[in-house]
Amino acid sequence: MVEKIKKKSQWREMWDRLKVNKMAMLGLGILVILILLAVFAEQIASYEDVAIKMDTSIRLQGPSKEHILGTDEFGRDMFARIVHGARVSLKVGIIAVGIAIIIGGTLGAVAGFYGGTLDNVIMRTMDVFLAIPSILLAIAIVSSLGSSMLNLMLAVGISSIPNYARIVRASVISVKDEEFVEAARAIGARDNRIILKHIIPNSIAPVIVQATLGVAGAILSTAGLSFIGLGIAQPQPEWGAMLSGGRAFLVQAPHVVAFPGIAIMITILSLNLLGDGLRDALDPRLRQ
Amino acid sequence: MSNEFLSIEDLHIHYITQEGTVKAVNGIDLKLNKGETLGLVGETGAGKTTTALGILRLIPNPPGKIMDGKIILEGRNLLELSEEEMRKIRGKKVSMIFQDPMTSLNPVMTVGEQIAEVIEIHEDVNKEEAKEKAKEMLELVGISGGRAGDYPHQFSGGMKQRVVIAIALACSPELLIADEPTTALDVTIQAQVLDLMQGLKKEFNTAMILITHDLGVVAEACDKVAIIYAGEIVEYADIESLFASPKHPYTQGLFASIPSLDEDVERLNPIKGLMPEPTDLPSGCRFHPRCPYAEAKCSEMDPKSVEVGAEHRVKCLIYSGEVSGKGIENE
Repeated sequence: MVEKIKKKSQWREMWDRLKVNKMAMLGLGILVILILLAVFAEQIASYEDVAIKMDTSIRLQGPSKEHILGTDEFGRDMFARIVHGARVSLKVGIIAVGIAIIIGGTLGAVAGFYGGTLDNVIMRTMDVFLAIPSILLAIAIVSSLGSSMLNLMLAVGISSIPNYARIVRASVISVKDEEFVEAARAIGARDNRIILKHIIPNSIAPVIVQATLGVAGAILSTAGLSFIGLGIAQPQPEWGAMLSGGRAFLVQAPHVVAFPGIAIMITILSLNLLGDGLRDALDPRLRQ
Repeated sequence: MSNEFLSIEDLHIHYITQEGTVKAVNGIDLKLNKGETLGLVGETGAGKTTTALGILRLIPNPPGKIMDGKIILEGRNLLELSEEEMRKIRGKKVSMIFQDPMTSLNPVMTVGEQIAEVIEIHEDVNKEEAKEKAKEMLELVGISGGRAGDYPHQFSGGMKQRVVIAIALACSPELLIADEPTTALDVTIQAQVLDLMQGLKKEFNTAMILITHDLGVVAEACDKVAIIYAGEIVEYADIESLFASPKHPYTQGLFASIPSLDEDVERLNPIKGLMPEPTDLPSGCRFHPRCPYAEAKCSEMDPKSVEVGAEHRVKCLIYSGEVSGKGIENE
């Protein structure tokens, strides 16, 4: 009995605190639905037969029984396109942040752990990156590499590397002077073991928060790049590109712009709610 | 070869900071035989922990630096080994128990994993065998093996220190350095932990350096004692002669500051003054500004270590006959 109550890891405790946060759970709920939609997009509406099938006879129709979110300027079903768009947006968002965490996190951990000249070289390079507005940097990367989904992920990922490098570095510096790190040295552990098994697991919390918020940012950046024509190529549905395509028909058929806009908004909102909730759940000062 | 196991000769460790050089350890000489326990006693900031970290070569560098000296473990000078060779010694031949069990365990690893870690590093075993051994170690320190999957925050302070002891002894080291292992624990638990360490030390025939500022702990656990003041060993003796006749004025001061049960005293009797700033150590004898028997000569001459009995050495000018030391108790 006692064992059962006591058996609680750090993650378990975090989850318990997150559970009581209604807004965070709302965000998580929406996010789970979005992910399910994205995963089962093909089962919900076929890509070939519905999402990219043009039919100019039914263009710019409002919501109806056949097309619950109406049709766009080429007569394609908006609902199918938004569902398939979720696939693209979430994938790009998550992979871009993944790239940023792996590269930025490694650089930050090395800089924080070793300090000195290496730290200076890495962090000043990051400062140079930070001096360029990230959307400009992404535009520059996409326009030099050409626009494809992979390049889009790379562009959005690379432009947010410095953020992760800074967060991981700060977190590593605060953990590396802890006594258990010294104790790990005293049992003969190598640097890579100390970093991977002792420092990173103890400094991951702020990174998770930033990553959740970062996915939202990456989705926005992707939509922005697609809006200006540097993102996903037609006819593949992408929320930003849908906004861009529909903006000429804003007056006649506002739903063509409104629905992808709402999709973006809901996704960002859910990620931000979850991110804020995670931050509160991981903040030791807020623990009861 | 004699059974001399560890010998430290003329060890100097300084911390070089922008505010000045902190002379933490200034010419320490120590000898330790197999299976023996040496107590290292001194005030906060006397250089006890620095000495201990120095033996493992874990002085944070920068700012710390081992300036001079030798640390000879089984005939090998540790200060000349490569980092890789040193890593094989840490946790295997020499292991350390840190002062605060609350912070010396990794909060996100289970205690079983943490004990298994040291075994994996030093012994040729797979993960499963290491886990089994970790459970045995837990049992050995009096914790049920079933708790190997628990996290440190699920244990009390005394239990955590037992886990730390299990980690330290997992690879049967030949030297155990215990840095104030009982300071962070409450008194009833202190005795238990000390008993446990004593028992295991005998079982494994481990030599031990016990760092403490508690003479009671020394009396209970040690064979020999070194009193350390401002980075120097001012008195070194076996336990009987030290407790029977402390020679150095500082040692006498330490004993006098312990409240006695037999005597009815109004106030405690502390040593007057404070430890000198390690960036600005007094000239001559480091203790002379606080010494009740100090004479002019004490601030000029560096005292040498003088033999006053079998294996009883004192660093004080009174015993080398330079200073009269009028009034000092000395039977």
